[in-house]
Amino acid sequence: MPVGTDLVLHHKTDRAAILRDGARLGQVVAEAARRYQTPLAFPLMDLTVEKEALVTTLGGSSDEAATYHFHEPLGSDEYQRLLDGIRDVRTVRMAANSDALTFVARNTDLVPVGMSIGPFSLMTKLISDPITPIYMAGSGVTSDEDDEVKLVEQCLALAEALIARSLALQISAGAKAIFVCEPAANVAFISPKQINAGGDVFERYVMAPNLRLAAILRSADVDLVFHDCGELTDQMVREFTRLDPAIMSLGSSRCLWEDANLVPNSTVLYGNLPTKKFYSDSETPVEVVCNMTRELLAKMKAAEHPYILGSECDILAVPGSMDAILAKTEAFLSVKA
Amino acid sequence: MSNTHPLYQAVLTGDVRTAKAVTQEALAAGVPPQQLLDEQMVPAMDEVGRRFETHEYFVPELLLAARAMKGALEFIRPLLADSGAKSAGKVAIGTVKGDLHDIGKNLVLAMLEGGGFEIVDLGVDVPVEKFIAAVKEQGANIVAMSALLTTTMPSMKAAIAAFSEAGIRDKVKIMVGGAPVTQDFADEIGADGFSDNASGAVRLARTLVAN
Repeated sequence: MPVGTDLVLHHKTDRAAILRDGARLGQVVAEAARRYQTPLAFPLMDLTVEKEALVTTLGGSSDEAATYHFHEPLGSDEYQRLLDGIRDVRTVRMAANSDALTFVARNTDLVPVGMSIGPFSLMTKLISDPITPIYMAGSGVTSDEDDEVKLVEQCLALAEALIARSLALQISAGAKAIFVCEPAANVAFISPKQINAGGDVFERYVMAPNLRLAAILRSADVDLVFHDCGELTDQMVREFTRLDPAIMSLGSSRCLWEDANLVPNSTVLYGNLPTKKFYSDSETPVEVVCNMTRELLAKMKAAEHPYILGSECDILAVPGSMDAILAKTEAFLSVKA
Repeated sequence: MSNTHPLYQAVLTGDVRTAKAVTQEALAAGVPPQQLLDEQMVPAMDEVGRRFETHEYFVPELLLAARAMKGALEFIRPLLADSGAKSAGKVAIGTVKGDLHDIGKNLVLAMLEGGGFEIVDLGVDVPVEKFIAAVKEQGANIVAMSALLTTTMPSMKAAIAAFSEAGIRDKVKIMVGGAPVTQDFADEIGADGFSDNASGAVRLARTLVAN
């Protein structure tokens, strides 16, 4: 589980150096898998890697990546130059992640699992206010009519190209499965009211690029692990099944035993203990985590759906709360079905 | 009885173009700006908030409505300033140090603005010094801090402590929010209030000002 790699990494003294060193990162990933007794070598759920690659392709520095936004549509020359640059990009962190996969593939019997942000979520990180133009596009406004919509569509295309590059690197490095994380594909960014009224923006902006990326993975015989910890409607979950993921990892806002009715048995459901709240001993004490775990295991068994117990994501390192988080992680793993 | 005034409807449906046009027409016809704000725009945003809480509206509809409200305010705000009208309060709002997420912050900002509050938008990744400066130099009487990441929640506690150290804790009400934040956490760090949604934040701000 991604949370495990994060926890193991946080016990290392030179974390920043490890993130840039593929062999050492691979050792951490393997150590986490051994420690938490899983054959799946899950990497860190670091969704900043691809945006950093895009910003550096533009000529910016890594330090600028987190806050970088496009403010107006790119001219056709600049857009093409960026697309061309993306095809060859291999930042230090992309290289380290790929090398970590190779380390796991060559030196362990674990399943090397890769990681990438999804195209829709990456697009939302490239624009300061993506929600309004997404809604406008869903209302029928075209990129020819509105610059904000044009920017969204340019950024989405750039994001897809970059993620295709990231997947290619990870496939070459030996990944047997890859997480594609779309936490922004949720009701905050795309209105269910608009979808119910017949808007096609979820299809055009979320499903279409992800279907293309899923096809890339399928053609390389690499499994898709689709992750979305955002708040979703049942319809969104149903749509995601069209990606035919080997594993679908959902956030704690979902009720997995009910989702078992929406997701075919060929897709393993994964999750979804609320790790974001593990820091709080008052709200989420160990006993509550254990009870949640027992309920999840029992109800997923009753649902007769393939299931892996896990956490919703790995945003964990609350200063001063590492022991609380660790205790709850150990606790839920010790619960027997 | 439902409000059929075109400005109310334009804000409610997020139609910024109509909101601007109707506001200009109304002002040109001599309607007092405060009346437009109090009788059309604030009630419209209250209704938007109600619909958001009952899941008739989602974040995109709320942001569209806020954009329409803002469009109308462009014409109304200068006139209100000239007339010396008082706002509901002045809120300095930002996402705490280390956190770059702004959707929740922007939602609360939009709803507070729609609720008649003056806003000092400090943006994201805001160091505590900026929150304090907004109170000391810009006269904010409420500070609203947002965090999406559990990793950045401790910044809220540090910020509240810094207000005490700066000797201005009693001059400002501090409200906190964000996905991982809970009432327990708000109590624990000594915040004056917590809301788990944007329209609740407006009610909270009104209560804090009243008290």
